Amino acid sequence: MEQKVDTRFWRLCAWNGPLFMGVFIIFWGIMGHNLPPYSADLPASDIAAYFRENANQVRTGMVLAMTFTISYCVWGLAIAKVMEQVVGKDNILVDLEKWGAGLTVVPVLVSCSFWLTGAFRPEALPDSVLQMLYDMAWLLIDLAYSITSVQMFALGAAFLMDRRQQPLVPKWLAWYGIWVGFMFIAECLMPFFKSGPFSRSGTLNYWIEFSIWFVWCPTLTYYLLRSITRIEQEQAHA
Amino acid sequence: MHEPVHPPFSAGGEASACQPESPHLPGDSGVWTFIVADMGAFALFFLLFSIGRMAAPELYESSRIHLNAGLGLANTLILLTSSLFMARAVDAARAERRSSVVNNLLLTICIGSGFAATKIFEYIDKAQAGFSPLTNEFFTYYFAFTGIHFLHFAIGIGALSWMVGKARRDTLDQRFVIWIESVGCYWHMVDLLWIMLFPLLYLLRWAG
Repeated sequence: MEQKVDTRFWRLCAWNGPLFMGVFIIFWGIMGHNLPPYSADLPASDIAAYFRENANQVRTGMVLAMTFTISYCVWGLAIAKVMEQVVGKDNILVDLEKWGAGLTVVPVLVSCSFWLTGAFRPEALPDSVLQMLYDMAWLLIDLAYSITSVQMFALGAAFLMDRRQQPLVPKWLAWYGIWVGFMFIAECLMPFFKSGPFSRSGTLNYWIEFSIWFVWCPTLTYYLLRSITRIEQEQAHA
Repeated sequence: MHEPVHPPFSAGGEASACQPESPHLPGDSGVWTFIVADMGAFALFFLLFSIGRMAAPELYESSRIHLNAGLGLANTLILLTSSLFMARAVDAARAERRSSVVNNLLLTICIGSGFAATKIFEYIDKAQAGFSPLTNEFFTYYFAFTGIHFLHFAIGIGALSWMVGKARRDTLDQRFVIWIESVGCYWHMVDLLWIMLFPLLYLLRWAG
């Protein structure tokens, strides 16, 4: 904490958060037809038709989404570097944040591979199998929420411990992240509903849950970038 | 490297919690972000419930009558009483009366635990009567909203228990006051959310 740190690549890594978000909106969301997802109460034939009619678009979207999924982990490592300047390198909160960010990549990557599998040879697969792939992808990506929650709790707790007169990351944002991580628990209800607010395309479990995360990610990145400048200034004056 | 001028979780340069003459938010200023966001989420829940109720008033009314308003009222009184002792614990912390802080926190937990007992009894009773979150939309909301609220309650009990430990071993300084005020604000939020849930789920009749 007291040693000077080399911040040269931190900004580049921090920008990977918005990069991940942008890629996912365009390639996973728009090209992959997940913005919003197909309702869980649609018949298998509708899901199968989606894969068959949009196969190339889904393939392209998922390939690019999978390529850039790792950027979430890179972003998480940039957060960890800034956290080290608050709680020190050896604090377990730093490890929890890194593991949370790194492991978040796995379910995102695997669920994208399910959508990609559906688009790979949809003409040869029965409707029910295509529906199952679509369901599996959504069940995995939503129910892996706790991995990301661990990241959000850890970084929230760490930034709340900042003893600077003006903390690197404002306390309201640290608390907001903790709240978002907590709110993800509503995803536990998702497998029980095929329609309504708790379903995968519902008001709560899709629109609200994704929106609150999408506000958190760029806002945190903004403060991370400012924090890096402040850390450099602190080092220059040390 | 940086300036440790105020304790962690403090109000960040705002008026001290020990100076009641200066108007300020009780507790850590950041914790209010959590509280406001959480209340916003519950406001959305209430909106979803009200929209559903307007669309199917008979269904909601025929389901509502299966809820035990007496138990709901008991839980309201339990949480209000528990909150009273929470407020007394905060006052005691400001006056640096350690034994009073510990005793009032323990009373907050003990009385608050009655909510858990009543709620678990109610869930078992509903399950035995054949009601589940999948019965209909009303019961989906009933179990989901009270379940999420119960989770808030359980976290609150955990935070209060942790505060008992802190009260026994830590100095009752400004930093402690900010901690106990923050936990107190959270506990009052749990109370307030129930005060909204109770009439909405148990009492609101269909006038049609």
